Amino acid sequence: MKKNSQFENILDECLERLIKGQTVAQCLESYPEQALELEPLLRTAQATREAAAITPRADFKARARYEFRSALHAEVSQKTRSLSALRRGWVVALMVIGILLVSGGGVALAAGNSMPDSPLYRAKLAIEQVQLDLTPSALGKAQLCADLADRRVAEIVYLADKGDAQQVEVATQRLDERLTALVGLVSTEGVETVPVEEAPRLLTEEPAMAPPSPSEAIEPVPVSPTETTTEVAAGTTTPLPPTEATPPPAAEDLDTATWDVSTKNGDRADLKVKIATDAATHLEALQSVLEKASPSVQSALHQAIIVSENGYRKALAALD
Amino acid sequence: MPELPARNGGYQVQDEESLVQRAKQRDEAAFAQLYEEYFDKIYRYVTIRIGDKMEAEDMTQQVFLNAIKAISSFKWKGVPFSAWLFRIAHNQVVDYLRKSKKRVSVRLEESLVASDSDPQGIFERKLNIERLISATKKLTPAQQEVISLRFAGEMSVAQVAKVMGRSEGAIKALQHSAVVALRRVLSVP
Repeated sequence: MKKNSQFENILDECLERLIKGQTVAQCLESYPEQALELEPLLRTAQATREAAAITPRADFKARARYEFRSALHAEVSQKTRSLSALRRGWVVALMVIGILLVSGGGVALAAGNSMPDSPLYRAKLAIEQVQLDLTPSALGKAQLCADLADRRVAEIVYLADKGDAQQVEVATQRLDERLTALVGLVSTEGVETVPVEEAPRLLTEEPAMAPPSPSEAIEPVPVSPTETTTEVAAGTTTPLPPTEATPPPAAEDLDTATWDVSTKNGDRADLKVKIATDAATHLEALQSVLEKASPSVQSALHQAIIVSENGYRKALAALD
Repeated sequence: MPELPARNGGYQVQDEESLVQRAKQRDEAAFAQLYEEYFDKIYRYVTIRIGDKMEAEDMTQQVFLNAIKAISSFKWKGVPFSAWLFRIAHNQVVDYLRKSKKRVSVRLEESLVASDSDPQGIFERKLNIERLISATKKLTPAQQEVISLRFAGEMSVAQVAKVMGRSEGAIKALQHSAVVALRRVLSVP
């Protein structure tokens, strides 16, 4: 019994060493007496590790990340769209939300994840613009611009899969606009002064993408994740988290606070990590789709890659 | 371009506990970092357990969507976040296997395989993945779980013990028997 336990400890130690990059031979050298029994097990474990080293498709990862961030943002927005907004004098914002609610929340849900070939896509862009307008701080706007750039890349991947070169170019232009706005927002000299007026421009420059009139407007709430009752830890049914509102700023700070939930805890370092991650994963996703793209969209994808690389490089440089 | 953050090797910017605490406070950036850290690992774990690429993709997404909903209930009392997250994945896998009641598909497309420009290498790796998934299905459920968590999820014995609710000693014994059984299965032509 004790001997078994001793061997199990040795095996586990060797497995850890394999994980850290050592070879089977190095492990066996440490335990010559157990080598005969250890070697076949370590070789099996090594083969298992190598076989298990699978990677998800880059385009799937891009889409999944986009949907995750949309759901996360929706969850955060839901928790914090509260009286604190009222107390900050967001009367205009509430009026807009009210109009949007009245005019069709169901459409907003569908629009949240719509793609450029969907009739709801214009609504999606309009919702994004409202979200930008309602975000008070420059850093918050920058965070949102980064999220929107993430969406644009997911759309480019989607359109490239469909072989629609023209729409890939349009989406690339939108990506460029978001990244340009992001760079402006995070530039040291522009942190508190750069308004994101670029976004309306993309709506007004393209008649086909004009924002809906107030009567057509819809609720600015992205699609929330599917309601399920999947079991979680300890085998219990997943409880919906309690409505745990983020603490509001002190009353005396209300006039000056650049209160924004998505960035209140996230400083420039956080944003930099996010942008650096996006830079790498977007490049990976775009290159992956380029490899299997039809010749007709390859040129547009090359342009998208250039725009993505340049935009993120500038943003990261601005954050240094 | 500034250095990119470590991927799959862990973020060193903040410790995980700090990130989790911030995620519980609805900090999007913190939650996004946790997502990047665990996405591939969860995907590998789910894929090895169910052996179906499309289902594994959907399920991996759902794991994180459920995590968003449930994060406020997570308490850092000796249970690491990784164990909590893998427990969500484990429950979804169990639920899926119970509902599907069909043989696990072992067809895996080449896109699943890590980059390898050598066609022969791709072929051999593909065979190994298929064989691994087939072989693990011949193990006991507990052995399957420990192999998936340890080698696909890249978890330590201590973390696996938390996920499975057993002692570290029990996990080491289970790991031993699982590797022995796996070798036996893989040795059969």
